[in-house]
Amino acid sequence: MALRGADLDVFEGELLMIVGPSGSGKTTLVSVITAILAQDSGRCEVFGRDLSQMTQRERARFRASSIGFVFQMFHLLPALTSTENVAVPLLIGGVPRREAESRAVRALEQVGLAARAESLPPQLSGGEQQRVAIARALIHEPGLLVCDEPTSALDHATGQGILETLQDVAKRPNRAVIVVTHDSRIYSFADRIARMDDGRILDIVSGEDRANLR
Amino acid sequence: MLAGARGKFAGLLFGIAFASFLVTFAASYLAGFLTRGFALLSENPEAKIWVMDPTVTSADLTTNLADWALPRVRSVPGVRFATPLALGSATVRFPNGTFQSFQIVGVDDATLAGAPAAGAAGGALVLRSPDAVIVASGGTSGKLQTPLREADRWPHDGPHLGVPTRRLARGDVLQVNDRRVVVQGVAAALPRFPPRPLLYTTLSNARRILLPERHRVTFVLVSVAPGTEAAPVARRIEAQTGLRARTEAEFKADTVRWYLRTSEDVGDMTAMLMLAMLVGSGVTGIMLYLFTSEHLKQYAVLKAMGASPAMLLSMLFTQVGLCALLGTGLGVGSCGIVGELAAALYQYPFRMMWFTPLVGLVAVVIISIVAALFSIRPVLKLEPATVFVGR
Repeated sequence: MALRGADLDVFEGELLMIVGPSGSGKTTLVSVITAILAQDSGRCEVFGRDLSQMTQRERARFRASSIGFVFQMFHLLPALTSTENVAVPLLIGGVPRREAESRAVRALEQVGLAARAESLPPQLSGGEQQRVAIARALIHEPGLLVCDEPTSALDHATGQGILETLQDVAKRPNRAVIVVTHDSRIYSFADRIARMDDGRILDIVSGEDRANLR
Repeated sequence: MLAGARGKFAGLLFGIAFASFLVTFAASYLAGFLTRGFALLSENPEAKIWVMDPTVTSADLTTNLADWALPRVRSVPGVRFATPLALGSATVRFPNGTFQSFQIVGVDDATLAGAPAAGAAGGALVLRSPDAVIVASGGTSGKLQTPLREADRWPHDGPHLGVPTRRLARGDVLQVNDRRVVVQGVAAALPRFPPRPLLYTTLSNARRILLPERHRVTFVLVSVAPGTEAAPVARRIEAQTGLRARTEAEFKADTVRWYLRTSEDVGDMTAMLMLAMLVGSGVTGIMLYLFTSEHLKQYAVLKAMGASPAMLLSMLFTQVGLCALLGTGLGVGSCGIVGELAAALYQYPFRMMWFTPLVGLVAVVIISIVAALFSIRPVLKLEPATVFVGR
């Protein structure tokens, strides 16, 4: 059993960080929240919907419409350009290709990568790849953005830039951001920090108290 | 996705193109030798109906007709004219003492129907000279060689083997069953299957040089009256003579069926086809499986983002389909080039008919589906949580 009584609320407009040592259950928790894994017991409600009642197909649709993902290793498709990568969630959602790519170009402009729209992932720096990944995660305007170790493959300065972008994203209407990390240098960007260990949420610290975690 | 992994993409393309090449080549080879199987019919376009012994079902395995066959066929209404054609085989001795087996084709003395034109030597009319024959390679090579030097021709001191030779030419003398024949021309007759040198002569000369047989005529070639359909006349000939009468198309089809039923080469072709498909499936399947395995993370990302299994499978099949299309194009194209070159340079029995690329395409479709099936399971069983670090 990877989670043992994790009790957590995530609010609109906040950037919540989930921190803890390896094996503490962070990844399992976000997998449940994002309808990737189904919990054996307990209740997980996202946007008023009980995930445990969903079929596999409903879970896939839910992820496609409501969740954005940013991964540690970016996981961009290497054969696709930045624009095509960003358009993928829209194509999964059934948006016509031309419209999807036009929206993708605008999304890239918002993250400052308009000039790299036609570049392939291997031609981009780590920071640029992560910004493409953020544009991809936000293109379908999900209510929840989940970022898994978004800065660990980046140098400190680039990581700080990415967190500033995520902080900005969290402030947009009808949006919340969850960041899973154990990089204490970025705790300052969190509105709240949930500490986990052994499948439990030990405590949730507000932004003002984050200094105690260091 | 696949295009991003150039090595695998090239490997997959190569596997499919190779299989498509082999399958199309084998099918074209089969078509080529079956076409050569009825070369005798193709050489006689005037003959709309072929009349033969009731037991004969191909142009390759024949027995002769009784002497009454020709006049009886000529008496059937709808027959414009009918000419005899004799087939036989004989060992032909060359001037230096070597010998070679030939198929003897005896044509009607009056019309010379069925005789090939012998280059610039005056066409088939040269057969009217005494003891005249026209020779043709019939798809063989190096079997029409006669001694170059006069001293090596008809020597009294035994055979002169291993002497310099040249190709037979007009005026050369040969012996068939101790009978003298004079080559009056070398024809470019259609190659045969199986390949064999040919010796055309008149029916009367054929009777002279072949070993005595009670009956000598193998086929009666019938031309039908203008405006008359061949098939009803053929049925009428059968009804009135008791012989087997087939239209040109029917006899070609009979001959093809006979080869398919009896020839060991068809088994070889089938084995080649199966081997090609096995190799193609193996290479393609392994390459696609390796590619899919190495890119499971990317499939997992798509699955995490909400892509349904059907969508992932359609991606997989689209990639395989694209490779199949490109690979088939490359395979069939290179097969056409190689085959036509081989046919032109070496008289290789290659004939790319409308259905041979289709055979290649069908084989590739089967190979691609098999290859895709190898890779479906890991994609369907994929756990999207693997996209997160630590999983």
